[in-house]
Amino acid sequence: MRFRNRRHRERRHSHSNEETISLTSLYEGEKGIITNAFGGFGLVRRLAEMGLTPGVEIRLLRKCPFRGPLQIEVRGCVLALGYGIATKVFVKPLKAEANG
Amino acid sequence: MAKQLRIALAGNANVGKSAIFNQLTGLNQIVGNWPGKTVERAEGTLHFKGHTIRIIDLPGIYSLSTFSMEEIVSRDYIAVEKPDIIINVIDASALERNLYFTLQLLELEAPIIIDLNQVDFAAKKGIKIDAEKLSKTLGVPVNSSVAITGSGINELLSTVIAAIDKKETLKPLKIRYGKEIEKRVQTIEKLVSSKLPQLCTIYPARWIAIKLLERDTDVAGKLKNYEKGQEVLDHAEKLAGELEAIHGEPSPVIIASEKYGFATKIAKAVTIIEAPPKISLEQKLDALTTHKISGYPILAAVLASMFVLIFTGGNLISDGLNYVFGILTTYTKTILFSLLPEIAVSLIVNGVLSGIVAGITIALPYIVPFYILLALLEDSGYLPRAAFLMDNAMHKIGLHGKAFIPLILGYGCSVPACIGCRIMETERERFLSAFVVVLIPCAARTVVILGLVGKFVGLPAALALYIFDLILVFLLGRVAFKVLPGEPVGLIMEMPSYKKPSLRNIMLKTWSRTKDFVFIAFPIIIAGSITIEALSLSGLMNYVVEAANPLIGGWLGLPSAAGVPLIFGVLRKELTLILLSELIPLRALSDIQMIVFALVTMIYIPCLATVAACVREFGWKKALAIAVVDIALALFIGGIAYRVLSLAMPT
Repeated sequence: MRFRNRRHRERRHSHSNEETISLTSLYEGEKGIITNAFGGFGLVRRLAEMGLTPGVEIRLLRKCPFRGPLQIEVRGCVLALGYGIATKVFVKPLKAEANG
Repeated sequence: MAKQLRIALAGNANVGKSAIFNQLTGLNQIVGNWPGKTVERAEGTLHFKGHTIRIIDLPGIYSLSTFSMEEIVSRDYIAVEKPDIIINVIDASALERNLYFTLQLLELEAPIIIDLNQVDFAAKKGIKIDAEKLSKTLGVPVNSSVAITGSGINELLSTVIAAIDKKETLKPLKIRYGKEIEKRVQTIEKLVSSKLPQLCTIYPARWIAIKLLERDTDVAGKLKNYEKGQEVLDHAEKLAGELEAIHGEPSPVIIASEKYGFATKIAKAVTIIEAPPKISLEQKLDALTTHKISGYPILAAVLASMFVLIFTGGNLISDGLNYVFGILTTYTKTILFSLLPEIAVSLIVNGVLSGIVAGITIALPYIVPFYILLALLEDSGYLPRAAFLMDNAMHKIGLHGKAFIPLILGYGCSVPACIGCRIMETERERFLSAFVVVLIPCAARTVVILGLVGKFVGLPAALALYIFDLILVFLLGRVAFKVLPGEPVGLIMEMPSYKKPSLRNIMLKTWSRTKDFVFIAFPIIIAGSITIEALSLSGLMNYVVEAANPLIGGWLGLPSAAGVPLIFGVLRKELTLILLSELIPLRALSDIQMIVFALVTMIYIPCLATVAACVREFGWKKALAIAVVDIALALFIGGIAYRVLSLAMPT
């Protein structure tokens, strides 16, 4: 998993911000724009209803180790997503302004 | 002129809906189930300015689609039962997400008023909502409140009455979607109103149209009952397909996106950011308690202190109660003996009375304190954090983080734990969690494990039993996960902010849950108690014990008298220990026998009250399946343990 993360990061550097990455590849504190989610009809609809619609800005708050769940801030609320679901949500990372 | 009004409370989870419900109804509430569904239905009555008002607290949901039973129950209640008014409770600090739900209520053309709750908390975050502007934009009355303290509750009721008396003349907002969606909605709407006029008397035609475009399976199912339903359905599906071809997304996502667009716009227009959000104490606490490293020791400490508190406190109260009831029983016996024949006295004292005493001595010392602490964890917002931290571990047995909550409940009592499995989203997950949860040693089983193995064999052995139980839960969870058909559901959960819990709310919650426990558990404990007493009075018990002897003596290696306590243990598990000590001096048992006895008690049939709770939640078949599997498992493991331990620790 660590390996996959690194690969994503490298790709991000070489392609500026054009590419979308899985939610799990964001850094803690990093912001991104949701591009799409894939998976079953029910899951995608559920995510949309919880506010994760294409185009919305989110911020990754924290991740748990070992493919654990993560927390994101979306539309003023904090959502916890299981790792499996988070891998199915894709984002375009925003320019690192608040990453520190 | 007393007029009865019907009001429903609707809104997202964690917006303080229950707090408002409690403020409005106090102790005048009945908590039960929706007919035929395992969805909690809380109802209460109150009197206000000459009106009698019946209030229904609908489940906390994020949408009116068909994701869960809760959503279907809510939307059917709103559309079919047509309450006089719906109070849409909104968390002022998360307006955007809450408005998404409001817009759906408006689409259902329900008569709503909005209660902007937790305005104090929003102010802390630097957010102020222009309530008047919100009211004008949405075309519905808006009231502000802080439900925990009760401020704004009277005004809320006045707003309700004014809205019902039509003193307010607002016109609710009708949202118009973008061209591509709107055109198709209107086409379907026309079709629906011309072809299905009967259905349109229940649901608004436009709402049906939107739902059909969203490929809502529940509404589609309703259409099939009508002659021309299929025709409309086919057309709607074609249009949904077109929409999806344009956007490259499933139609519900496209519609949700647009609806959220409206919510965002409205929220932005009425929100005044007064101060940049400061990092509050709650946020620091949140960071610490969900941190990937510090979160876990904190979780362990919270749970450990909770159980130490319950068991040390519980034992004290339990001893006291047993003493008092002991005296009471003796007195009742002497009085009854002078009035009734011996058999009747035995039935009353050992059947009815000891059943009631059994219920009270477990409920009062262990369950009530457990409920209080649980409500505290719940209201403060810690439970979702625990669920978050444990998500990974729970995935190993095919469940997700939320299942950790009934699992903790299981250490207190299996009855609320079974009911607690409702928080899981699908029927499959609920059953799977219940299956696992009944294997968790509850307070009564802990009494046996600690009182027998802990006291006579040693604490390490007792601890080993607990660890063995966890391994068992893990293995069985995995097996059940593999065997049960269906897809596992992942974790999608809102993390509410930490809040200061209110004592009143905690007490009310504890009260209503205890009441619930009493209603489920007491009748069954008393009935079971009478049956077993009748069995032993009639002498049938001896046959049962004799018949069970090959199993008890031969297979488990226990003294044959131990069969009686194991049978009685069905009523409540700590009874096994009490009865065992009456029949055999505990010291006469070998270490192995003690361990086997505790092991069997720990695993075999969840007590009758738990079975009753399972029946209520899952029906007879599944409850029976759980009971049978557990008995078989307990006997199997008990026998194996006897043999393995005999080899490992020869006496």
